[in-house]
Amino acid sequence: MQADERFTDATWPASPEKATLEGKNKYLGFWLFLGGETVLFASLFATYLALKDKVPNGDAALAKDLFELPLTFVATMLLLTSSLTSVYAMYHMKNNHFKQMQAWLVITVALGFAFLGLEIYEFNHYVHEFHHTFTSSAFGSAFYTLVGFHGAHVAFGLVWIISLMVRNARRGLNLYNAPKFYVASLYWHFIDVVWVFIFTVVYLMGMVG
Amino acid sequence: MKELFPRGQVMGFAFSLVLTLVALSVIMFDLSLKMAMIILLVTAFMQAALQLVMFMHAGESEDKASIYTNVYYGLFVALVTIFGTMLTMIWGYQ
Repeated sequence: MQADERFTDATWPASPEKATLEGKNKYLGFWLFLGGETVLFASLFATYLALKDKVPNGDAALAKDLFELPLTFVATMLLLTSSLTSVYAMYHMKNNHFKQMQAWLVITVALGFAFLGLEIYEFNHYVHEFHHTFTSSAFGSAFYTLVGFHGAHVAFGLVWIISLMVRNARRGLNLYNAPKFYVASLYWHFIDVVWVFIFTVVYLMGMVG
Repeated sequence: MKELFPRGQVMGFAFSLVLTLVALSVIMFDLSLKMAMIILLVTAFMQAALQLVMFMHAGESEDKASIYTNVYYGLFVALVTIFGTMLTMIWGYQ
């Protein structure tokens, strides 16, 4: 089976991302990478938890002064929904519907940009309203490192998915690029999982006290 | 057999919305801190498991054993890092 062979709906395999050896290896390798990413984020979470509310004086903003529910709730909904739309994209990929896959990826990317926009607004708000900056306290450093690292992952994911869409726009789907799209969607889900923990541990636990 | 409508995933999405709302109830209602933390941790881990199984299809591959071994190993190191840090930096012992 040639990787760049043209397929019809009838000959397109059921799991195109795992139909070639290269695809299988990419899939397994990506899971190994995600294991490492889990540990990376765990160390950032540990740092944040240890340094939460560690500020130099009584005037500095604490977690319960900073966080507001509506903004973070909307951000969570945007990212959860984008996780679902990328699932739709992968369903169309498995059914050899290239145009629909691209359309759902466009929606996924749009939701990702909306999320990133909210995060930029949020950081800007903290810096200007609360003087909560990267260097203002240990709490600030730990907070921006953890949440900013996640934001950087979102930004990287957006660049990745857009690059794949542009690069393969006229080529269509084949067994060479199907694993690439699939692995990018796995990355996107992973970002969503990390955000669920940030939402819980940083924002909700921060608001509870 | 190729499936056109990802019913399982839509159900999974609805369930993750419900879990988010349950987590939010911690803010809405006046719960004890301990209760609130338990609810938050349980909902967060359920969400993660949901994504892993429903969306990322961790088990649907010939390399299932390797993938799960790796996921559990990563999770183990992650939890040791986080709770070890909590023990030495926040909780203390004696």
